[in-house]
Amino acid sequence: MSKIGLIIKREYSTRVKKKSFIVMTFLAPLIFAAVIFGGVWFIVNDTTNHDVLVVDQNGILTRHSEGTGHLESRFANTFRDSDNLIYHFTKNDITDEVFKEGPYTLKIVIDDAQLNSGSGTPLTYKKIPSLRVKENIKSELENAIEQFRVQDNLMLDWATYKSMKVSVSFVEMDVEQGGHESLDQYKAIVGFGFSVMIYFFIFLYGVQVMRGVIEEKTNRIVEVIISSVKPFQLMMGKIVGIGLVGLTQFLMWVVLCSLVMFIGGLIMFGNMSDPALLVDAGSVVSTSELSDAQAMLLENDIALAFLSINWPLLITLFIFYFIGGFLLYGAMFAAIGSAVDAETDTQQFMLPVSLPLIFGFIVAEMLLQNPDSPVGVIFELVPFTSPIVMMIRSAMGFAGMEWLVLFGSMAILVLTFLFFVWMAGRIYRIGILMYGKKASYKDIWKWIVTKS
Amino acid sequence: MNTLEISNLSKSFSGHQALTDINLLVPEQKIFGLLGPNGAGKTTLIRIINQIIKADSGQVLLNGDPLRPDHVYDIGYLPEERGLYKKMKVGEQAMYLAQLKGMSSRDARKQLDEWFDRFDITPWWNKKVEELSKGMAQKIQFITTVLHNPSLLILDEPFSGFDPINVDIVTQEILRLRDEGATIILSTHNMGSVEALCDHIGLINKSELVLSGELDEVRSRFKKEAYQLRFKGNMIAFTNALWTNFELLSKKTEDDVHTCEVNLLKGAKLNDLLNTMLPISEVLEAKPLIPSMHDIFIEAVGTSNENQDAS
Repeated sequence: MSKIGLIIKREYSTRVKKKSFIVMTFLAPLIFAAVIFGGVWFIVNDTTNHDVLVVDQNGILTRHSEGTGHLESRFANTFRDSDNLIYHFTKNDITDEVFKEGPYTLKIVIDDAQLNSGSGTPLTYKKIPSLRVKENIKSELENAIEQFRVQDNLMLDWATYKSMKVSVSFVEMDVEQGGHESLDQYKAIVGFGFSVMIYFFIFLYGVQVMRGVIEEKTNRIVEVIISSVKPFQLMMGKIVGIGLVGLTQFLMWVVLCSLVMFIGGLIMFGNMSDPALLVDAGSVVSTSELSDAQAMLLENDIALAFLSINWPLLITLFIFYFIGGFLLYGAMFAAIGSAVDAETDTQQFMLPVSLPLIFGFIVAEMLLQNPDSPVGVIFELVPFTSPIVMMIRSAMGFAGMEWLVLFGSMAILVLTFLFFVWMAGRIYRIGILMYGKKASYKDIWKWIVTKS
Repeated sequence: MNTLEISNLSKSFSGHQALTDINLLVPEQKIFGLLGPNGAGKTTLIRIINQIIKADSGQVLLNGDPLRPDHVYDIGYLPEERGLYKKMKVGEQAMYLAQLKGMSSRDARKQLDEWFDRFDITPWWNKKVEELSKGMAQKIQFITTVLHNPSLLILDEPFSGFDPINVDIVTQEILRLRDEGATIILSTHNMGSVEALCDHIGLINKSELVLSGELDEVRSRFKKEAYQLRFKGNMIAFTNALWTNFELLSKKTEDDVHTCEVNLLKGAKLNDLLNTMLPISEVLEAKPLIPSMHDIFIEAVGTSNENQDAS
């Protein structure tokens, strides 16, 4: 095996064998899944039972049942009982003391004001109800008030009114993309996810390169190693080895996350994704179901965006920009590591390296709002920000001039990292043999221009 | 045949002259003592031989050839400031360093097994370096330096950190390696080990080579017209007899035997001294005083400093 291969192997294997790496690699997808599913689980599987007392002071939303004589909901499909939500009706409000002692867990009070404006309905609770329960009660109440207004005030037939209602949604077309349906906004969000990933990996693993160099310098093994290999080989071996660790972690995360999401999805939503249920939900005509349907439409768009992304291109470009960006920043981090004796001395050099990285992240965030901003093109070309910024465009896809920008950006990145790796090598070869003296920018400049 | 031939070697670092016109021969299969005060330029010279840095001018020949990249396989270098990866296991690390020196992993494993066996440290193979004591780590470093059987070994303070027992073990190994064909450059401040081990020496002071040659030849060069005498008799009479031509350097008495060191002045000979002594004492022994490396070091460096100050 070549020497640089040996160095890469050592850097790689010592790191992937570390407990912290293994824990992070397997734990992160689990935490990710736990956050997502936990949230969904909490909303979906809120099994707290509620007895809701509806105080209908005007007796407009309720009537006496013909059979039992009890108060019941006057309008069809309103205040329907469900597994964990039972509605009770009264015309007379009860005091808080009675409510506290009584069997009801929630109470809403409806009077003229609510019938007129709908807002400001008092909801009294013993324990704070979940969002889902609140949404449910709210939509039932909205439905009831709407039926009251349509039938009692406007004297319209509810079914006729319902048939008049229309729901508008957009299908976005980008004329630049041949008038096909455009899902750019959603794609940009996916791209931003990759931007975050590159930003995160460059920082995390760039600092590891720096630490590795400092470690070799402080435990004085570096002189032994560079009597066998060239300093440049040692530096590149370290950067490449650690970069591969980062790629490994990324790929593991992709695989594990998909796996966890898939399995988790099966377990939790196995029955919910049943198409029959979807049709069922869609056919029930009520405002509450409408908002659900809209939500589903939204989900569909995201799903569509996911499917319409050119994944091979995106992944290829991610790997390219990850490697390019990592070599560029890794070289700078290595140079910093070689110029200092301890990690505490790195601060003065860290700032100029971190700033463009953070700036790239901010630009990417801006592009998320406005993916076609011309400012984006500049930072897609600047090599210090392009690895982060370009991910958004990569997810949205390229057309016309954008291909030119992509190739330009790639070429500039390659040239820049070659230059920076060369420069870092010159700093490194001298820096690693310097002990005790804190290097200044002036010293480092001297090292760059000194011939070997 | 010389393992190393250095001619007209100079190196400066941004204004600071580290080596000035060094000419040095290191003969094959000898132990060469590279001496000099701290900061004289020894490490710079060693780094140039190891191709860690390049000389400004001059030439270094290793086994007759100008330095080439693959020469690193012919050299084993134990730096003065040395260390190991603390988190790595001993065996794994030794294998890594051996492979960097061009050994195949099979070769490295075989050699390492032998060396670990010889140093009786086989149980350390799977220990992490941070679990080892300093002396233990030094042994690993010594092994990884010599493992690939280099024709030139450069050992910078190889005994530091060792207890006397391990100093002996390592000394024996160094001598064995020399006998098996290696040439060794030993850089040390310990003049005792220079006298015990070195065949040749070179002394660098303030970037210049001020002294070099075979150890015995160097010592005889510094030999003064001084003798150590053992005799029986009256000490007062003896000191009185040492009139103007002699200088008494030291004296001590054990039982009734006196041991004195006497310097001969104004071209006086040993015979003159004996003539003076014989009437008043019974001379048991007279031998020339050989200067120690310690004395030579101090004298050579002192003279060199005076010369440089004067110029």
